[in-house]
Amino acid sequence: MKFIWKMFAGVAVFYAIVAVVYYRLSHEIVGSAALTLSTGLAALIAFYFWYTSKRVGPQPQDNDEGEIHEGAGELGFFSPYSWWPLAVASTTIIVGLGLILGWWLTAIGAGLLVASIIGFTFEYSRPGVGPH
Amino acid sequence: MGRKPVDLHYSSEVPSRSKSRRPALISSLAVLLVLALSGCSAASLPRLGLPAPATKEGHISVALWQGAWIAALAVGALVWGLIIWAIIFHRRRGDHIPAQTKYNVPIEVLYTVIPFLIVAVLFFFTARDETKLTAISSNSSAVHIIHVNGMRWSWQFTYEDLPPSTTVTGTPDQPPTLYLPLNEKVRFVITTSDVNHSFWVPAFIMKMDAIAGRTNQFEVTPDKLGVYAGKCAELCGRDHSRMLFNVAVVPASDYEQRLAAMKGSAA
Amino acid sequence: MTTLAQPPVTSAGQPQREPRGRLIIKMLTTTDHKMIGYMYLVTTFIWFLIGGVLALLLRSELARPGLQFFSNDQYNQIFTMHGTIMLLMFATPLFVGFANVIMPLQIGAADVAFPRMNMLSYWLYLFGGIMAFSGFLTPGGAASFGWTAYAPLANSTYSPGLGGDLWVVGLAIGGIGTILGGVNFITTIVVMRAPGMTMFRMSIFTWNVLLTSILVLLAFPPLAAALLGLEADRRFGAHIFDPANGGAMLWQHLFWFFGHPEVYILALPFFGIATEILPVFSRKPIFGYKGLVAATISISALSVAVWAHHMFVTGAVLLPFFSFMTFLIGVPTGVKFFNWVGTIWRGSLSFETPMLWVMGFLVTFLFGGLTGIILASPPLDFQVSDTYFVVAHFHYVLFGTVVFTMFGGFYFWWPKMTGRMLNERLGKIHFWTLFIGFHLTFLVQHWLGAMGMPRRYADYLPNEGFTTLNTISTIGAFLLALSTMPFLWNVWITRKSPMVGVDDPWGYGASLEWATSCPPPRHNFTQIPRIRSERPAFDLHYPHLAAVGAHEDTDLVTPTAPAAGEIK
Repeated sequence: MKFIWKMFAGVAVFYAIVAVVYYRLSHEIVGSAALTLSTGLAALIAFYFWYTSKRVGPQPQDNDEGEIHEGAGELGFFSPYSWWPLAVASTTIIVGLGLILGWWLTAIGAGLLVASIIGFTFEYSRPGVGPH
Repeated sequence: MGRKPVDLHYSSEVPSRSKSRRPALISSLAVLLVLALSGCSAASLPRLGLPAPATKEGHISVALWQGAWIAALAVGALVWGLIIWAIIFHRRRGDHIPAQTKYNVPIEVLYTVIPFLIVAVLFFFTARDETKLTAISSNSSAVHIIHVNGMRWSWQFTYEDLPPSTTVTGTPDQPPTLYLPLNEKVRFVITTSDVNHSFWVPAFIMKMDAIAGRTNQFEVTPDKLGVYAGKCAELCGRDHSRMLFNVAVVPASDYEQRLAAMKGSAA
Repeated sequence: MTTLAQPPVTSAGQPQREPRGRLIIKMLTTTDHKMIGYMYLVTTFIWFLIGGVLALLLRSELARPGLQFFSNDQYNQIFTMHGTIMLLMFATPLFVGFANVIMPLQIGAADVAFPRMNMLSYWLYLFGGIMAFSGFLTPGGAASFGWTAYAPLANSTYSPGLGGDLWVVGLAIGGIGTILGGVNFITTIVVMRAPGMTMFRMSIFTWNVLLTSILVLLAFPPLAAALLGLEADRRFGAHIFDPANGGAMLWQHLFWFFGHPEVYILALPFFGIATEILPVFSRKPIFGYKGLVAATISISALSVAVWAHHMFVTGAVLLPFFSFMTFLIGVPTGVKFFNWVGTIWRGSLSFETPMLWVMGFLVTFLFGGLTGIILASPPLDFQVSDTYFVVAHFHYVLFGTVVFTMFGGFYFWWPKMTGRMLNERLGKIHFWTLFIGFHLTFLVQHWLGAMGMPRRYADYLPNEGFTTLNTISTIGAFLLALSTMPFLWNVWITRKSPMVGVDDPWGYGASLEWATSCPPPRHNFTQIPRIRSERPAFDLHYPHLAAVGAHEDTDLVTPTAPAAGEIK
């Protein structure tokens, strides 16, 4: 993970330089704002990966001499199937259509969307369900 | 998980050398045919498609176009050449494994630095020429200023040498004609009444957008008599392709007469 | 080696077919990145065909002067939706599709980091795309303001009608799906690589997926913001893009800040596919792996800094800055080209269909890249911007990259995905017909644009000298369309071919997907070989060559038995 945070940090530095140079040369506000926000995004992700890499330490995948058996054991929980992605997407579309056809549809859609997001998030956290 | 030999050719047999060359031959003939048909007028061939320029500034653009294409085609010939060389001479012969070359730092440095030099040179000429093409002379110099206004779906021309009531307005069915004096500098002040349009005269080798809420300008000095086509070059809705106009470059004395006539008819 | 769960094999040697109802439920609820990837591939191909039909309609209208088939407004709807479909419903999701199918296999992962969010991205894409397309069903027709939707043309004054709104909202929803996909891929690549699969042993395709996903995170949010702003103007009386507030330029800056990285989002994954295919059919490793990675990182970084080269003729942007950056981005692109040439140089080249497609890509994209350098120069752009020269340029780079390597990827990875090979002879017919058709269609358009034919024109006058070239271009377009037939026929007739039964039917596969069965088991691997280079499958099958020095030629003919003892 070390390379990744350094790469994002490098990208952030690059965009910071470009943003400054661009603003100084052009005084054009939209591009300058977009470049500055891009710098911020890259810096945010760089910070997160730096922080996480400190927390989790060296990983087998970043080890040149890593052996496959080091990754043995439970890889994680993989959902076998789920209806919730379809539900979230369908309700999103209803909200979108509501923007066009009328507030009443957006309201219905928003309610359904929130419900489906909650369902999606807690799908495997209900008692008796999921890996635990 | 072993590797069993697999017959990759479910059809009859591996295409022989001559059979596999045939499509290549046909396609290169096709390309030649297309090129021959496309270079319709031999005169336009050296300009690689650009119209003959009708302004002093246009010659700058044509020269840059020709130079850039020479550089581009030279690079292209090299790279296409390398690819075709490899296709022909590095074809599989026998079952050996070739040298597993993974890198070559000097060559890699070379093919990073040389393209950089090429683009640096291109940039130099570009920066030099774009400064000339976008230059606006000071207001004190002798410039005929013409206001060009785009509107859905035709053009309005107002000559500053004349009162505003003489504005010429076209329609898609009756494209307006813009008159310009030979060898005298003209400045176009470009606006729009509604959406974005673009003021393009291909023979000027130049266009500039009419941006809603903004005023643009550029200058040219026409140096060739004639009537030239003009078009809108920014999608503006239904009749975008009908938003045409004409540009007539006339001798300076004729120009004065035309202006006088327009003033007279408007009064 | 593959000792696990294959579908039960009948006595005829074919896997049992799943009952249709169960298959539909599976598609609605799957979380398997491979199945999701296949759904993306099929859906994007259908959109490709739809966009292609729209293109044929355009070319039919332009074959001769005069409006023969459509009104001006219908024509505007057709090219708007052609561009929108090809860029946002075909090419961008195609990247997501290939990344889904291949990338987890190449890094030795069991699936992606967020399998359900993966599925969510697909549904958002499908529903958003259908929503945008459904504009054709409204009385006012589909959006007709170009895929670029410039303000103020795209506002409710100049483009009233539901079609425009459906377009805006549909794209915004699809865009959310793409952003979520980007998050998913970055996370997967960062945390789910197999032990020993360090960053600099990842395949180039995986690298490009990572960098493309980063670009997605940088580019799609400005698009989403711009689209929602446009909808606010259209529906809710906002004045975000009001020309009086500089709205026209605001839209262009926001749109192209998205739009330029978008074309690299389209290019990079497919450069990756080409880079996967070349070593396998040259029997050599990728030349200059680290240089390729550095070049791709440079391209990604620079791509965010060049957007206003689409705006040179607005008179409102800093020409030298954008021109310089655009010239600069040509350098790493050229480096990649030389790396590809270096890969095939002194190789042992064979021209099975995947390799043909990559050769086609190299030859075509090169020309598109060169015209891109021409366009990077504002004085030259002043003439050819918004003309058929630009149309020719972007078809050469986009079609040359996306479509050629898409088909290359299909033929190459077909056995991995389905367990069966596609027919080689039909594949060659497919390639040559497409290659000739493509060049016949688009080469002449460079000339048309330079001469004076603007883009997005429904018609031209008979005396302009555009007619012959347009007719040639239309003939090419129909040939290009016909070339799809051998491919569809190929897919159909090989659907019951014998299974290949081996991990690597091509023989010289390098990356990790060629170390598992064709098709892979549900969670991708039952065993993973030791990873000590960027070519783990090649090292597994040719262990003696990992020991051979890089510059020695070898006469060893057949591979020895694979090294045993790869433990999981």
